[in-house]
Amino acid sequence: MVTNEIVLTTQKASKSFGGLAAVEDVDLTLRRGDIIGLIGPNGAGKTTFVNIVTGLLPISRGRVTFKGRDITGWAAYRIARLGIARTFQVVKPFRNMTVRENVAVGAMYGAGGSRRTTAEALRKADEVLEFIGLGNQHDREADQLPLAGLKRLELAKALAMDPEVLFLDEVMAGLNTKEIEAAMDLVREVNQRGVTLLIIEHVMKAIVGVCRHVVVLHYGEKLAEGAPAEVLQNPKVIEAYLGQKYAQQLEARHAKN
Amino acid sequence: MIDSMTVSSSTHNVWRARLPLVFAILALLVFIALPAFGVSGFTYRTLTAMFLLIVTAQGWNLIGGYTGYAAFGNVAFFGLGAYTTSILMFRFDLPFLVTLPLGGLIAALYAVLIGLPVLRLRGHYFAIATLGVAEATREVVAWWTPVTEGATGISLPFLKPIDFAQNFFYYLTLALVVLGLIMTWYLSRRKIGYSWAAIRADEDGAKMLGVNTTASKVIAFALAAMLTGLAGSVYAYYNSFIAPEEVFKIDRTLQAILATVLGGAGTLAGPIVGAMIFQLVNTFLIFGKPFGIDLGQFHVTILGLFIVLVIVFTPRGLIDLVLRSAREAQQRIAGSGGNFGQRVWAFIAGGARATRTILTQNVRQFRI
Repeated sequence: MVTNEIVLTTQKASKSFGGLAAVEDVDLTLRRGDIIGLIGPNGAGKTTFVNIVTGLLPISRGRVTFKGRDITGWAAYRIARLGIARTFQVVKPFRNMTVRENVAVGAMYGAGGSRRTTAEALRKADEVLEFIGLGNQHDREADQLPLAGLKRLELAKALAMDPEVLFLDEVMAGLNTKEIEAAMDLVREVNQRGVTLLIIEHVMKAIVGVCRHVVVLHYGEKLAEGAPAEVLQNPKVIEAYLGQKYAQQLEARHAKN
Repeated sequence: MIDSMTVSSSTHNVWRARLPLVFAILALLVFIALPAFGVSGFTYRTLTAMFLLIVTAQGWNLIGGYTGYAAFGNVAFFGLGAYTTSILMFRFDLPFLVTLPLGGLIAALYAVLIGLPVLRLRGHYFAIATLGVAEATREVVAWWTPVTEGATGISLPFLKPIDFAQNFFYYLTLALVVLGLIMTWYLSRRKIGYSWAAIRADEDGAKMLGVNTTASKVIAFALAAMLTGLAGSVYAYYNSFIAPEEVFKIDRTLQAILATVLGGAGTLAGPIVGAMIFQLVNTFLIFGKPFGIDLGQFHVTILGLFIVLVIVFTPRGLIDLVLRSAREAQQRIAGSGGNFGQRVWAFIAGGARATRTILTQNVRQFRI
């Protein structure tokens, strides 16, 4: 699936809040069709990284390019219209709208939005909802969906924007095993439609099962990267997640074997 | 059996969807025909004031209701509209109908100017900033004597004869209500309307979907200002005297907010129904002298109390309360058999019970 065409890069992307460096000098390259995992312990700066790339927070230092174009410092809505979409970790449906209307907003204002009329956007929303498995829910009030439904709705809103790159911020958190399996299938299917993905996730089964390449953030810096299975064996990564003591024990056990 | 049920329920739905339109047209026809039946000067004045309130409420509804930005300075636009008309008529002898659109335009331009910085603020900060802007605007108008005549105010010639004037202002303000209604109806189902609703629910989420939130908010604010400015413009000529203290009075903003919230903020009919109820109560308090007490002096106090009660008991407005109660009541009669009288009784009892439940739920949200 993955090609050689570079869609999105960050160079030394950094974000600090006052004296606190939340993200520091992160270099990342996304190739068209790729699925990259972004992992790291809580507070590692994963969501902040997505926020500065998508323009929701102003970037402190560094550069972001999209298809060779420097988009550093662009307003969030302009970046979104280029074809870079994201979901939110904390699901935030538009509560005063139906499921269909929620998704239609993405279809109206996303990459393909300017070509569409309101009616066309609503039709597009129905198509996306059909694809995402919420086809029979379109007339419900958005906040009446269960959590798994809300996560799908988040994804549907992003997909309705016709994105080339999609950041998924913990879409599987809070789902049960069966729902995670379904979500993984959905993610693969989205990728097969040609969307390049960057996935933030704590569900390691999903990371290993879906991602081709994994980047680990720790205290805002890149700690390791590589193939999922390999990275998860890395003692530095284990230490970052579970603490030094446990990492040493684990290493000792490996040495004995 | 199943087929006939779905058919009847779908025709029922079509009817239900058209019901508001039918109702609106009937109400409009009643108001158009009303003067033909000979109404008193008092009725003319009350209804004209009501129409003006509806228009300012419709204006506030765009920014405060649909977009969810609690603007507390909309009276600035009313005042600017009033002063635009007054100055142009007084100094340049321009005909009123030429000054009217300019009143709306100047107010809208002013909204763009102050909206660009002020709409970056959210919540209480936005409310306080708009309040401050309105106060500052009044001060400038009050001190800029060479242009505005300062605190003395401006007198305009009366429109004569009186019969013509009464009808002129009655139908003109009614036309503005229709303009506000059609504009709101049209925009609320366009892309811009969706962007407002998205901003109201979650502004960051709207941005991430590609909504230029700044532009959407400024447009909402400018259109709100336009309607409010048009109302101010008409008011100046209608009242034939304006002064800063009067046309920039914060009461005007509060009344527009109260009327909108009372009916239902962010709904098409909300400001209209709310302003009608408000005007009735207001007229009764001032002229009705309930229990022989002149409540005029407590007017603002009662207004404030009213705002609190509405927000505690029906934050989504009276229309929502009535519709939800009726829906529940209808479900109840669907289950109950019996003759017509019993069904009507079931509907009333069910509706009352549903209303009580909704009110209790609303009040409970305020328990900390």
